[in-house]
Amino acid sequence: MSNRRVVFVVGSGRSGTSTMAGTLRTLGLHVPQPEVVADATNPKGFGEPRWVVDLHTELLQRSNVQVSDARPRAWLDTGTTSGDHATRERVATWLEEQFSVADELVVKDPRASWFLGLWRAAADRCDATSSYVTMLRPVTEVVGSKQTYYGQMGAGSDQGAITRTAAWVNMMLHTERATRGQQRAFVRYGDLLDDWTQPVFALGEAFDLAGVKTAMAVDIAEVHRFIDPSLRRVTMTWDDIGVPDRLRDLADETWQALDAIASDDSAKNQEWCDQLRTAYAGQYAEAEAFAHSTVVAQRRTAAAQARREAAGQPARSAADHVPHAVRALVPPAARQKLRKAMGRERPQGSA
Amino acid sequence: MPDIASLEGDPAYDVTWPWTSGEPLVPGLTCVFRVRNEARNLPWVLPPIFAAVDHVLLVDNGSDDGTADVARRVAGECGAGDRLTVLDYPHRVSRAGGEHLATPATSVHSLTHFYNWCFSHVRTTYSMKWDGDMVLTPEGTGILRDLAWQLQSARAIVAMPRHPLTVVDESTGWLDLSLRFLEPWVYPMGPDFTFVKAFDWELREFPPGVERIVLQQGLVLEVKWLDADEYAHWRRDGVDFTNTRLYRKLREFEVDEAIRNGDPEALGGLVKVTAPEGVHIIDHVSRDWLWRQPRPLVQHSLPATLKERVRP
Repeated sequence: MSNRRVVFVVGSGRSGTSTMAGTLRTLGLHVPQPEVVADATNPKGFGEPRWVVDLHTELLQRSNVQVSDARPRAWLDTGTTSGDHATRERVATWLEEQFSVADELVVKDPRASWFLGLWRAAADRCDATSSYVTMLRPVTEVVGSKQTYYGQMGAGSDQGAITRTAAWVNMMLHTERATRGQQRAFVRYGDLLDDWTQPVFALGEAFDLAGVKTAMAVDIAEVHRFIDPSLRRVTMTWDDIGVPDRLRDLADETWQALDAIASDDSAKNQEWCDQLRTAYAGQYAEAEAFAHSTVVAQRRTAAAQARREAAGQPARSAADHVPHAVRALVPPAARQKLRKAMGRERPQGSA
Repeated sequence: MPDIASLEGDPAYDVTWPWTSGEPLVPGLTCVFRVRNEARNLPWVLPPIFAAVDHVLLVDNGSDDGTADVARRVAGECGAGDRLTVLDYPHRVSRAGGEHLATPATSVHSLTHFYNWCFSHVRTTYSMKWDGDMVLTPEGTGILRDLAWQLQSARAIVAMPRHPLTVVDESTGWLDLSLRFLEPWVYPMGPDFTFVKAFDWELREFPPGVERIVLQQGLVLEVKWLDADEYAHWRRDGVDFTNTRLYRKLREFEVDEAIRNGDPEALGGLVKVTAPEGVHIIDHVSRDWLWRQPRPLVQHSLPATLKERVRP
């Protein structure tokens, strides 16, 4: 049997995926280089290979799917993209190059869940064993953290929180489905911060990772320095996030089901996830139907814009987006000054 | 009241769809086999299918080679005994072509009725027809396993190209890469997706505008055994192959004849594959050979005159 292992760290962003990837790297697993550089949102680094992030970004674009996409059918779109032979060859070739550096790899990217079928096939081609660590963090903390670090989507409203909560449910339930029947583990972010040795030791045993099994004292000490419990900077409850009750209940139950699976990956708990996935798809389809008029209107706007662009007409100026009644409230003198400032002065004589 | 009463008035073989009887369809994919004497192929065919789909429904139509027992044994070996349903369809089913054309669609002897009866036993939201000689590759298995849940939020049919492999002996085979042999296999369950009668065989209906997903080449093999002489009766019967719809059948017949006559190279589109010592040719082609080949696998296509007729 081959010694090659590739551990995919998956789950929603802001759930400790970077902490897990960084821990495994510190213990000797190889993170393919170069990595995405650390920034204020992740001061200890992301543990994300640049090549993987670029690939996933390209494939998401090709699939017309966003990183945090709440649509259940987005999985079908990324799934069909994942089957492309040329892409499989590209990924398998890259993975083979990484295995020439080390036998045990850790690949982490919050986008990875969308393309697990592709990665599994590529790992199989390289005669490597794939395993999956899904990081779990309460939905309120994930959404709160995203609101804090990535900004609110709907200005001053909870629209962003609603979309993000829905995307979290979609991501987590389908990641569970995509990794089912494979070598996998679910790790609570809180457990990792409280005492990382227990969940990480268990991963080493379950996935047969030499890096973890043969870790030396110096490596372990290094992980203690790396894991900083204060990383859990955002702790929120539903009181901080305005999400409708139905979605909130579904998100809560999703958390409970995944929390149960983390302790007991049984058929019973998997069925619970199946039921929640069906319920989520139903709730999403209903919301989609409810908001269908908005979709139709946006489609018309986009089509009109495309027609204008095709005809070579300039897009409307920013001022044109302000309703006439509002524009009329601006005094004529101020309006002239504004026009001058924007370089859009009217010819002499016009009103 | 059944949805389709059998012409012969045999209530056990009337068709009642689950949406009529009020039985719920659970999210998932069921693979439906209608088989006669496939005991030889099932040890290759079933394991990847059990790895890919939620349930397997095997309808035995008069096998005398222990097909059903082999299916149960393989299911047990795969730990999938509880995901296999074996049913028996004892009626003689008309052969494709003229015999089918002459058989009324609701007769228990009609392919159309046979298919509707088989699929009426499916209890998942998607179903897939599969033949007892089709072997999925490991990557095909992975893709189908993912589709089984990915499809649940869509209403789509899935077409897959398949590649006929004529097994000459344990280590030698000829792979036909002249045509894509592209057919839809996976359909949603529902009143819009039932079977009707076509000229030569049955046809599964689908509503206009339904989404169609086409999978990659190189995921499915169709196994033909040279020693089984499957086309012997064709030679005797003098089947008329000038018909466009039967072009694929003509190709299968030509391939069989060419290999039998020792001149397959002359036919074109055939690739000889030899397995390493100790590996069966079916395992070699499906597990190790296909994914390594450059794409597109199928270089040739239908003759231009036939293209328009085949792809309406």
